[in-house]
Parts: sequence; C-alpha cells; structure tokens
Amino acid sequence: MNKPLRIALTKGRLEKDTVGLLEKIGYDCTSIREKGRKLILPVPDGNLEVVLAKANDVITYVEHGVCDMGVVGKDTIQEMEGKFYELVDLGFGRCRFALATKKGQSFYGGYNVKTLATKYPNITRKHFESKGMDVDIIKIEGSVELAPLLELADGIVDIVETGTTLKENGLEIIEDNICPISARLIVNTVSMKLRQSEIENFVDLVEKNL
Amino acid sequence: MKRYDLITPEGTRDLLFEDCLARRKVERTLAELFEGFGYSEVVTPGIEFYDAFSGSARNFRQESLYKLTDSKGRLIVLRPDSTIPIARLAATRLKDSDTPLRLYYNQSVFSNNALLKGRSDEVVQAGIELIGGDNVKRADYEVLCTAVEALASFDKDNFRLEIGHIGYFKELVAQLNLEDDVIEEIRMLISSKNFPALNDLLDEIGDNDITRALKQLPSLFGGIEVLDKASDIYANDKITGILYNLRKVFNRLSSLGYEGKISVDLGIVSHTDYYTGIVFKGYLSEVGQSVLKGGRYDNLIGSFGKEMPAVGFGVNVDSVARHLERMGANPHVKPVDAVIFGEKGFVVEAIAYAQKLVREGSKVEHSLFNSFEETVEYARSKGISKVITVADEITETNV
Repeated sequence: MNKPLRIALTKGRLEKDTVGLLEKIGYDCTSIREKGRKLILPVPDGNLEVVLAKANDVITYVEHGVCDMGVVGKDTIQEMEGKFYELVDLGFGRCRFALATKKGQSFYGGYNVKTLATKYPNITRKHFESKGMDVDIIKIEGSVELAPLLELADGIVDIVETGTTLKENGLEIIEDNICPISARLIVNTVSMKLRQSEIENFVDLVEKNL
Repeated sequence: MKRYDLITPEGTRDLLFEDCLARRKVERTLAELFEGFGYSEVVTPGIEFYDAFSGSARNFRQESLYKLTDSKGRLIVLRPDSTIPIARLAATRLKDSDTPLRLYYNQSVFSNNALLKGRSDEVVQAGIELIGGDNVKRADYEVLCTAVEALASFDKDNFRLEIGHIGYFKELVAQLNLEDDVIEEIRMLISSKNFPALNDLLDEIGDNDITRALKQLPSLFGGIEVLDKASDIYANDKITGILYNLRKVFNRLSSLGYEGKISVDLGIVSHTDYYTGIVFKGYLSEVGQSVLKGGRYDNLIGSFGKEMPAVGFGVNVDSVARHLERMGANPHVKPVDAVIFGEKGFVVEAIAYAQKLVREGSKVEHSLFNSFEETVEYARSKGISKVITVADEITETNV
C-alpha cells in the first residue's frame, strides 16, 4: 500500500460538510467523527490521512507540500493567495462578501476618504482598488459589526450568510456581490504531478458525489 | 530604541557545519556536471540597476525586489535572478564572442517574500545558460539532458522532469483576439488549474474549438498519452509541430534510462512574456515546490540589444541541500585526525609539525591548552582519536 494521501480540512462547518462528502463516497469516517483531541486521523479505506486545521493553515500546509490536498473556503484563498492548484468547487460552504454601513448613511457621498473595518483587508483593498477608490482599512478580529456602531469605521466588508446580525444592529447591505464564496479542493503543485493517478481518482470520486 | 543585533533579518539564516557541507556538496556536484559539459562559470554583481529587471520580458513584481539607492540616487536592487544579468552581459561584453556561449552560475538571489510563510529571502541558485547557436533543437536537447542528469545526481530514484511548451498556450489564445488582461486572467487560471473559474470565463467568451481546448489545458499533464490527447482536442500546423517535437524530446530523454521519470505538462504557462519555447520543471518527492526550472527564452537577450536565442535552467540549491539532509544523504562533519600539543618551550616546533602533517594531507588541530592532560580531555570530548606531543621527541598517544 502506498503512503496515504494527506488532506487538510478546515475545522468547523467545512469539516462537517467534507466528512459528509467523504462518507457519501463510501469512506468510513468514524475516526474523524470520534476524533477526541487527535489532529491527524486515518481514513484507511480511502488510503487517506485527514488533518484538521484552521483555514489559513490549510493553505500553508498545502503550499509547503506537507499536506497533498486541502479543503478551504474561497474567502481564505483570496485573502491569503499562494501557489497551489485550485481543482474543484465543492459547492458547499456558500456565502458572499458584502459591504454594509449604518442604515441611512450614504457611503459613496462626500469627498472624505472612507474607513472600512474588516477581517479581510486584502479582499477589501482589491475591491476598492478595482473601483479606483482610496480607502483606509482597519483590521478587526472579532465582530466587525461593532466598528461602524462605535464610529471607528464608515462601513464593513464581511461574509454574510443571512444578514440577520447586520439588521439587528442597524446596519444595511449596500453591495452584496463583492465575491461569491464556496469551499474549494486545493492541491499541492508537486503532489499533483508525483501522485497524479491517486489524486485524479480521488477528484473523480469527489466530483461524482457532489 | 530596540536594537536588532542578535538576530538575522526575516527570511535569512546562518548556515552551520552540516548545512554548509550539504550546500557545498550540491554546488560541487552541479559545478562538475556543468563544467563536464563545457560550461564556464560567471559571477554577476550582487546589486544591479532596477531598470534591468523591469520591462515586459523581464517582469519582476516590484514588491518582490529588495531595493536601495546608489550615491547618485539611482534605484538599485539586490539581484533577484541570475538569467537576466547573464543576458545583459551576453548582449554587451560577450556580443562579439563566438557562439554558442555556455555559461554557468552559482550565486544567491534575493526576493522579498511575505512574512512568516517559511520562505527564504536569500536562496542559492545554480544553473546554466546556453546562448546562441542556430540549431535550437539540439540546444534544447542538450540542456534538458543536463537537467535530467542534475536531478538524477540528487536522488536518482525519486525525481521527475516535466516538459511543456509555452507555444501551445500562446498559439491557442492568439486565435481568440482577446484583450491582454483577459489573456492574463486565462493564463492565471490555467496556471493554478482552477477549472471552475476557467470554465466560467471561457463560457463567456464563447463555445468553439479553441475555448474547448483551453478548458482542457489544465488537465493536459501526465505521460506521453497527454500529447495524443492534445492533438485530438485541437491541432493546426503550428501545434502539430510543437507536439511532434515534444514527443521526440520525451522519447529521447526516456531512452537515456529515465523511463517513467519524464512527464509532460502543457499547462505550464508561467512567465509567458519571458519564455518562447520549451519549458520544464524538476521535482524531488517530498519537496513541496519544484527544485529546477527552465526553458527557452529567445527574446530576452534581444531586449538588451543583441538578438540571440537562448535556453537554460536554474536549480534551487538550498531546497536540494535540505532534501539531502532530510534523507540523511548529506556529508557529516568529521573530527580532525589528531591534536598537536607542544610541551613548554616547543610551541614553534609544534606548529611547524602541525604544518608538516597538514601539507601531507592530514587534518589536525593545534592545542591551545597548557597541559597534556587538558589536551587529552579536549580530544576525547571532540571525538579526536590521537594526541601528538611535540617535545625533544614526538610521541603519539591514542585517546
């Protein structure tokens, strides 16, 4: 038996969706469902080894080739960038990036430079660069919605699923097509070449079971 | 003010002992190989004018360059690459030399990488450039063979050389009459094998033979069967020619005893402004990035004022050295053969005796201790097996 293919999963919701997909393919994922505190988990019938990591780390591990493949959201890919193959749009983990401001405030009015709070400074910068707009960006780690309420920022750029949190805090979405997000299967560029047939088999199974 | 006098800048490190031996071993292996094929070494300056690295065929991202200014305020960069300086010198100081020129280099290149990603900002690269000569096919073949030899010398069972041709992609997109930025987007999506986004973009452009072929391009990698697949998908005279040549190169390289070690990727589309023909990459298993990169670049030297075709490759010496260390195939630091201890009044004699042994080919250390006992203790702790005492007579003690 060959060395197993190592795949890094983003902990949390994407992990659950991916495990669902692996089970649909027919792999026994009890080791992941009952993982305890373990971080490297075998899926022997798929000759896989699953690693659980935070989204940014999934990219880092795949880029360095210590994991052959990874499942990570497009938001993280756009924010981090990096060199790897982005093979499959897995379709789950869908959400979108939106620009929101305090209700009733006109974001595009006036000549002053706008301040934006976000967890995703690169995506925000690129978006406003493409509009030719010069903005100040402040990186916030927790609830971004706070920043306009505390008047630190004129608006926020964040991932939106339902928009309820925004509404409850008196914010409204003024642009919601900044970029659509879903989970992607990424592959290390060298693994893709040196373990081509195994990876292609796996990708085939994944695509058939989406 | 905080002083940064105890650490090295981000992305750099000190190399000690075994690390140095591993790097030197790779450097020596490559130098012997290159010299064996008639290449001569050149060294280019560590700093160059920024202008040499900007311009369409030599596009380096501004943010990746380490910049400083010279005494006249002109913009200087730390050398980010060796091929461009060599192209400059080929087009200037060597412009009247007989061709072909066979040049090799072994020097550091610098790039300003994103912080905390585990990348080195200073990397030693060694490589060759074969410049001039009318027979492009022979030149390509020579350089590819040298690349395979280099990879095999590192790890003969676990390497892969992958060949492609930049003309395949260029020829396809040329027929679509697209804006440059759309071509660039297609190129990036192919380069990252991003099938979903590539399909969406090409669907917008239209459904025809060419867009269908481009959609398949990221999957056109693997063994020789890829070339058959490619010619089934789309072919015109130019593409048929490109595929025919790749097939020949593939078969010839495989027949050198490297069956199964050569593969094809028509989706290698990086640096399309720079490369003009065959392109290739070398991999070692367990190393997450390619360790060798090269290709044909017929327009670069011309952009410095003298048209000359050229082909070459560079090896990431540091990656290979780390790989050898991980495999345990690196050389180890050995203790010297003996410690030479001069009794009181025999210091000069002791050094003279040490010199004599060194000239005869031994490795020795001269003892700085005052007593024989301390010298023996030191030799033991360093794993040195002999102490030679110089006094009226010379005595050897095994420790």
